[in-house]
Amino acid sequence: MTVLVRLALLAAVLAVWEVAGRAANPLMAVPPSAVLPALRELLLLRSYPDLPASLLLTLREIALAYGLAVAAGLACGFALGMNRLVGRAYGPMLAALYAVPAVVWYPSLMLFFGLDAASKIAFGFLLGFFPVTLAVLAGIRQVNPQLVTVARAYGAGPVRVFASVMVPAMLFTLVGGLRTGLALSVIGVIVGEILGSKRGMGALINHAYGLLRTADYVALVLMTLVLIVGSDALASLVERRARKWSE
Amino acid sequence: MTASPRIIAIENVTKRYLTSSGPVEALHEVSLAVGEGEFCTLIGPSGCGKSTLLGMLGGLVPLDSGRVLVDGQPVTGPDPRRVATVFQDAGLFPWRTTLENVEFGLELQGVPAERRRGVATELLGPLGLRGFAGKYPRELSGGMKQRVAIGRALAIDTKILLMDEPFGALDEQTRLLMGEWLLDIWRRTKKTVIFVTHSLQEALLLSTRIAVMTARPGRIKSVLEVGMDYPRLMESGELVALRAKLWSEIREESLRAMGGRL
Amino acid sequence: MTLRVRALQLASILAALGAWEGAARAGWVDPLFVPAPTAVAIAFARIGGAALAALADTLGKTAVAYVLSVVLGVAAGLVVGSVRLLREVLNPFVIALYGIPKILVLPWIVLVLGFGAAPAIFYGTIHGLFPILVLVMGAVRDVDRTLVTVARSYGATTWQLYWKVLLPAIVPSVLAGMRLGLVFCLLGVLVVEMFAGVRGMGYVMSAFANGFQAPELFAATALVSAASIAIVLALDHLNEKLSHWRG
Ligand SMILES: Nc1ncnc2c1ncn2[C@@H]1O[C@H](COP(=O)(O)OP(=O)(O)OP(=O)(O)O)[C@@H](O)[C@H]1O
Ligand SMILES: [Mg+2]
Repeated sequence: MTVLVRLALLAAVLAVWEVAGRAANPLMAVPPSAVLPALRELLLLRSYPDLPASLLLTLREIALAYGLAVAAGLACGFALGMNRLVGRAYGPMLAALYAVPAVVWYPSLMLFFGLDAASKIAFGFLLGFFPVTLAVLAGIRQVNPQLVTVARAYGAGPVRVFASVMVPAMLFTLVGGLRTGLALSVIGVIVGEILGSKRGMGALINHAYGLLRTADYVALVLMTLVLIVGSDALASLVERRARKWSE
Repeated sequence: MTASPRIIAIENVTKRYLTSSGPVEALHEVSLAVGEGEFCTLIGPSGCGKSTLLGMLGGLVPLDSGRVLVDGQPVTGPDPRRVATVFQDAGLFPWRTTLENVEFGLELQGVPAERRRGVATELLGPLGLRGFAGKYPRELSGGMKQRVAIGRALAIDTKILLMDEPFGALDEQTRLLMGEWLLDIWRRTKKTVIFVTHSLQEALLLSTRIAVMTARPGRIKSVLEVGMDYPRLMESGELVALRAKLWSEIREESLRAMGGRL
Repeated sequence: MTLRVRALQLASILAALGAWEGAARAGWVDPLFVPAPTAVAIAFARIGGAALAALADTLGKTAVAYVLSVVLGVAAGLVVGSVRLLREVLNPFVIALYGIPKILVLPWIVLVLGFGAAPAIFYGTIHGLFPILVLVMGAVRDVDRTLVTVARSYGATTWQLYWKVLLPAIVPSVLAGMRLGLVFCLLGVLVVEMFAGVRGMGYVMSAFANGFQAPELFAATALVSAASIAIVLALDHLNEKLSHWRG
C-alpha cells in the first residue's frame, strides 16, 4: 500500500518535471524524456568519450582517500582512546574541529596540492578521517572495563584482550563509523572535483554545465549518483554482515 | 448506594479491535450502572478489557455496539467538563513543573493564568506536594508523580474520576498510604470514582462496589457490594470473608485467562 | 585532572605553533605554501577589515538560510512525523535526499538563480533543512503516546496538541538538529561562494588560494573556523538552558 503511494508520488514528480521541463527554457531545465537520449549518448561514449577514464580516476581518488582515512582514523582513534589523559585533552579539540564546516579547509588543500587529483584525495581523506576516529573513540568507551579486567585476570595479554574483548565489543560502532567515513570520503572527492578540477566526474559535470549542455549535465549527475548509491549499498552490505557476526 | 441516581450507564457494549492477526473481541455485551458518589472498582484478569472500558467512558475509545451514557447523555468524545482520567503510568509532561502539570487541563480550557495558578496551588496542600511546585517530574518519586497526575485530574473538578491502575507501579507501603489518601479526597469531594486495580486488598479497602470481569472477551461476571464504613481494616472478619469470595471469583477467570495452566 | 587536561591542550597548541614557526623559519617547509604563524598573524592584520566584512556577508546569508531551514524543517517534520501515512510514504525519500550530496545540483542552482545571495541562501537552506527534518520527524514519531492520550482526554484541540504537547516534547531533538543544521547551512553558503561567489568568505578564500596568497588564506581560514566554533558553542550553551527539564 505505502509502496504504491510511493511509486505514485515518484511518477507524479516525474510528470511534473516533464511538464515543467518542456515549458521551461531548454538551457535551464530539461524534461526526463530529453535526459534518456542524453544518457544513451553518454553510455555509448558518444557525448563524452573520456567517461571511463574520468570514472576510473574518480574511483581511484575515492579509494585512496578512503584507505588513508581508515588507516589514519583507526591509528589516531586508538592512540587517543587508549590513554585517558590524552583522550580527554584531544577528544574535545577534535570535536571542536568537527563544528567547523569542513569545506573551509579546501582552498588551503587546493593551494597546497594543486588542482589535480591530490587535492581531491586530501579533501576526501579529511572528511572520512573524522567519523572513523570518532567512532573508534565512541567504541572504546563502549567496551565494558570489567570484561577487560576479567580477561586480564585470566591471563590474557594485551593483544588477546584487544582481539577477543575490545574489537567484538566495539565492532558495531566501528563499522557504522567506517560506513559514514566512506560516504563522506565520496562526497569530499566529488565536492573537490566540482569546486575545481580538470579531470574526473566533477570536471565532466562542470564542463557540461559550463557549455549549457543541460541534458548531458543531468545524465552525468545520474551516473555519479549511481556511483555514490552503489558505494553506500556496498558499505551497508558489509555493515549488515558485521552486525550479524558480532551478535 | 443503589438508591443514588445513576450517573454512568453502560449498556450492552461490545468492542472488537482489528489487529494484524484478525479481530480481537475485547468486550462482549457489557452492562454496568454506577450511582452518583460511588467508588466502583473494576477488577479482572489482564487483558480482559478494563482499560478499554475506561477509555470508552472517557471518550477515547469508540464502541462497536451498545451505549455508554454519562449524566444521561451518550459519550461521543473526551468531555473534560464531566470526566477526568488518571492513567496507569502517570503521563506527566516532563517539561512542565508540578504546578504546570496540575494546571494543564485548566490551561486547555482557557482559564486565565492567575485563576488556574490559584486552583493548582490550593490543590498542592491536600496532594502533599507543597514545596514541590517548581520541581520537574524527573525530580519526583513515583508516588509523588502519581499524586501530580491525580492533582491534574482533580484540578478540572469533574463529577467523575476514572482511574486506571493509578497505584500499579508503586511499592506496597506507598500504595497503602496512597489508598488512604485517595479515600480521604474522595470522601471530601464526593466525586464518582471508577477505579481499576489488580489488588484485591486495594479493591476491598476502597470500594463501595466491586465489579469482577471475566477473561477476554470481557463481561461483568458479578458485582460485590461492600457496605462497610471507612476506614476499613483488612483484618476485620467481614472483609476477610469478602476477600475469600472475591478471590474465588477472580481466581477462576485468571486461570481461564492463562489458558487453564499455572 | 581538568587542570592537567587544560595544560596539555594549551601546551600542544603552543608546541605545534612553535614547531611550525621554527620549521618555516628554518626553511624546512616552503613558506609559499605553509607560511609561519607570525606571517599569518601579519597577514591577518593586513586583511582584517576586508575579511570581517566578507565574514559578515557570509554570516548574513547563513542566518537567512538557517532561519529558513529551522522553520521549514520543524514545521515539515511536525506534520510529516505526526501523520502516519505521510511519514511512511515520505520517510525513504527524506532519508535519500538527506544522504545524497547536494553538490551535484549546485551547478544547476547557480544556472537558475544566478550569482549572488539567492543561490547561497537556497543551497544553504537545503543543506540545513534535512538534518533538522530527519531529527524532528523521528522525534515526533517517538513522542510518548501516553502524553498524546492524556492531552486528548483533557480535550486538547489539534492545535493545542501540536503546540502544547508535540512541540515541547521534541525540543531536545530540535536543538540537536539546530546544532547540526547550523554547520550544514554555513557549509552550504561557503560552497556556493567558492563555486560561484562574488563576495563572502568562500569567495575570498578561493581568491587567495588561486592567487597563491598563503598567509592571507590561512588567516581567513582561521577566522571562519573561529567564528563557526564560537557560534556552535553559543548554541550549546542555549541548548543547556532550554533543556533543563531533561536533567
Ligand atoms: N489499540 C488496540 N489495538 C488492538 N488491540 C487492543 C488495543 N487495545 C487493547 N487491545 C486488546 O484488547 C484487549 C483488552 O485490552 P485492555 O487494555 O482493555 O485490557 P486490560 O483489562 O486493561 O488489561 P491490563 O489489566 O493488562 O491492563 C487485550 O487483549 C488487548 O490486547
Ligand atoms: Mg489496562
